[in-house]
Amino acid sequence: MAVASLDLREVFLQKLYSIPNGRKVNECIQCGTCSASCPTSHAMDYSPREIIAALRAGMLDRVLRSNTVWLCSSCYSCSVRCPAGIPFTDVMYELKRLGVKHRIGDKGAPNTVMAREFVHLVDRRGRNHEPALIRQYFLHTNPLRALRQFPLALRLWWRGRMPLRGHTIKGAAGLRRMMAAIEENGSK
Amino acid sequence: MIAQDEKIGVYVCHCGTNISGTVDVSAVAEYARTLPGVAIVREYKYMCSEPGQDLIRKDIEELNLTRVVVSSCSPLMHEVTFRKACNDAGLNGFLFQMSNIREQCSWVHDDRERATAKAKQLLAAAVLRVGQQVAMEERIVPVRPETLVIGAGIAGIEAAVRLADAGRKVYLVERLPSIGGHMAQFDKTFPTLDCAACILTPKMVSVGQHPNIELLTYSEVEAITGYVGNFRVRVRRRATSIDPTKCVGCGLCWEKCAVKKVPSEFDAGMSMRTAIYVPFAQAVPNKPVIDREHCLHFTRGKCGICQKTCPADAIDFDIQDEILDLEVGAIIVATGFTLFDAGELARYGYGRLDNVLTALQFERLSHASGPTGGEILTKSGERPGAVAILHCIGSRDENHLKYCSRVCCMYSLKFAHLVREKTHAEVYNFYIDMRAFGKGYEEFYRRVMSEGVHFIRGKAAEVSTVAETPEEEGKLIVVGEDTLLGVTRRIPVDMVILASGMRPAEGTEKLARILSLGCTRDGFYLEKHVKLAPVDSPSDGIFLAGACTGPKDIPDAVAQGAAAAAGALSLIDKGRVIIEPITSEINPEVCAGCQLCIMTCPYTAIHFDSERNVSVITEELCKGCGTCVAGCPSGAARQKSYEDSQIYAEIEGVLA
Repeated sequence: MAVASLDLREVFLQKLYSIPNGRKVNECIQCGTCSASCPTSHAMDYSPREIIAALRAGMLDRVLRSNTVWLCSSCYSCSVRCPAGIPFTDVMYELKRLGVKHRIGDKGAPNTVMAREFVHLVDRRGRNHEPALIRQYFLHTNPLRALRQFPLALRLWWRGRMPLRGHTIKGAAGLRRMMAAIEENGSK
Repeated sequence: MIAQDEKIGVYVCHCGTNISGTVDVSAVAEYARTLPGVAIVREYKYMCSEPGQDLIRKDIEELNLTRVVVSSCSPLMHEVTFRKACNDAGLNGFLFQMSNIREQCSWVHDDRERATAKAKQLLAAAVLRVGQQVAMEERIVPVRPETLVIGAGIAGIEAAVRLADAGRKVYLVERLPSIGGHMAQFDKTFPTLDCAACILTPKMVSVGQHPNIELLTYSEVEAITGYVGNFRVRVRRRATSIDPTKCVGCGLCWEKCAVKKVPSEFDAGMSMRTAIYVPFAQAVPNKPVIDREHCLHFTRGKCGICQKTCPADAIDFDIQDEILDLEVGAIIVATGFTLFDAGELARYGYGRLDNVLTALQFERLSHASGPTGGEILTKSGERPGAVAILHCIGSRDENHLKYCSRVCCMYSLKFAHLVREKTHAEVYNFYIDMRAFGKGYEEFYRRVMSEGVHFIRGKAAEVSTVAETPEEEGKLIVVGEDTLLGVTRRIPVDMVILASGMRPAEGTEKLARILSLGCTRDGFYLEKHVKLAPVDSPSDGIFLAGACTGPKDIPDAVAQGAAAAAGALSLIDKGRVIIEPITSEINPEVCAGCQLCIMTCPYTAIHFDSERNVSVITEELCKGCGTCVAGCPSGAARQKSYEDSQIYAEIEGVLA
């Protein structure tokens, strides 16, 4: 069954076109500069160029189920070099948002979990707390792997690089309200 | 107000269904009968047809019409047609007015009722306006028989030879010391692999020897005034420091010259030249010039060995720039192109890495009279084992040249062939799309494919020297996606050729200002009509040829050179031109002498009379654009046919 319904495709296109120069994906000349400039494309299911081809062919499924968007390291090489002026890194972000929101594309890419937990944490405390983030991450993915990280965590803690207690900023409640308002506006 | 005795004829056109499909033509015609001064109203299927024009002619003769209005298409289409119909029947054509109810009404609206109402308003405006118009006479001026050709590349040469062969005098101005342009630098030409020099030099020689061509090399156009048929041109002949009447081109001077390390422009920096030099062996004229920026006599006031060596006593350091004032009837602009600077794309390493060459550098490298005598060698003097050719450098890129440079695919194929032929190296062409559109081009593409050249569909992303495997050590590594495989490939090579795109030649913009020519946003000259008048400029009497209007290959540049010559010839042979009487005037009684109009006039048609302290318009130069009228703070400038009374009448009509 297709994960991405027709509606979702519409929603995505709307979002995509609202990015500055987002419409330029329609002007892609499939030259491959993005893929060859990408430092992580070798590990991607589909290269950035193929992602654009798939988007234009209406195969949003193929895009969302691939690991590609989660391997983008946001180095912006593709965007800088693209001769068609496509802001590809921004397209990747839009795809990430879509993936997180609709809980698709988790296949072998626990990055959605990382992204979600990070946002939750910042929402709650106003800043990141690495031990908490990594705890939540492993809880939702593979708790056993957490054990393998334990020696490293211990060493970091010993050196004072890993505060066990997180810090909450002043006025976290205000920040939460702001974030909520942004979320609400963003989903309109 | 329309005078009592005026008899206006109004003709409303259906234009098939173009107008009548959206506008109720009969209602418009009915409305026209209620307008002041209207004596007769007719509607017709096609007013521009011969029977349509006959209606106008017959009515003028039989009803003694004093003014005519046609409600049809844009005046750009048929103003001339109807004006002529009026003239034929003895009515001054400037007592005619057109109202555009097609482009500005029926084509852009779909509400029939409202479109009809608008058509009525537009027609009323034309009727009230025509009542205020005055009869004017077109002026006929003679055309001088000489032509100025600016730029002596292949397009300019073709134009000059065609005109000269037709017995017309041509001034051929070239900025560089020799004619020939970029074509003289090329090795072979695609797709026939003719040697460029073999086909070009005979033409260059015939230019040099033609009795009807006055060759002005090392010269630049500084100013142009006048108008179609009667241009006055100021040319600066840069001082060559050589007396051409004495010099025999023996070459002793440049052999002896003490300055030997000036990068050769002709060899695209691949070799060094002296300060006194001819750019290349077949140069026309084959006489040296002294490059004063590098000559020791001019930079430090010493040396002078060339003067001592010269057996003909032809070297004269005191020669000064010379200003020539020419009078010509037509001008052909053929200023060509320059290569996109590949250094702007740092990721390909041009200027940073050895053995990364531009297309022109490779042409010179492969050329029999180039720096290596035609052997394709790396900087260290070895034959390359692998060569990469990167298409679309700068072209088809939002950030650089938005357009396709048209010639790069084909010359890249030619390079691939030459490298295979001369070195047997592996050749990798990184291309986005292969554009082989011309006669014999696709066949050439097939041929090069069959020669074992590797084609990788994908634009190269970068050229690196960071080796990831032992085979890559010491090589240039081209990284690009093979989009047909979906795999990023790293190809280690010994030489990279960058197929740089074409951009307008240096000085194109400056000349545009001198000639009042328009440019596209890419900087190339704008043609009068990109399809139907590709060698006409928007200014009468000025023609455009070759790569100055956009990237072109040799056959296209030659065709345009010949076409521009035909354009100039048809103007010259007619011997006279009609000049529209719609010009501006400045009332000296009102003019305050602020000179704002002089600054804003795009045709340099206004000068200042310092005795009377007023600005004066030269009527022949004025194109009637109205800029001065809009700019004049005291209302002294007025434009014929756009008088205040006429414009107010028009507004009144629209509001009626």
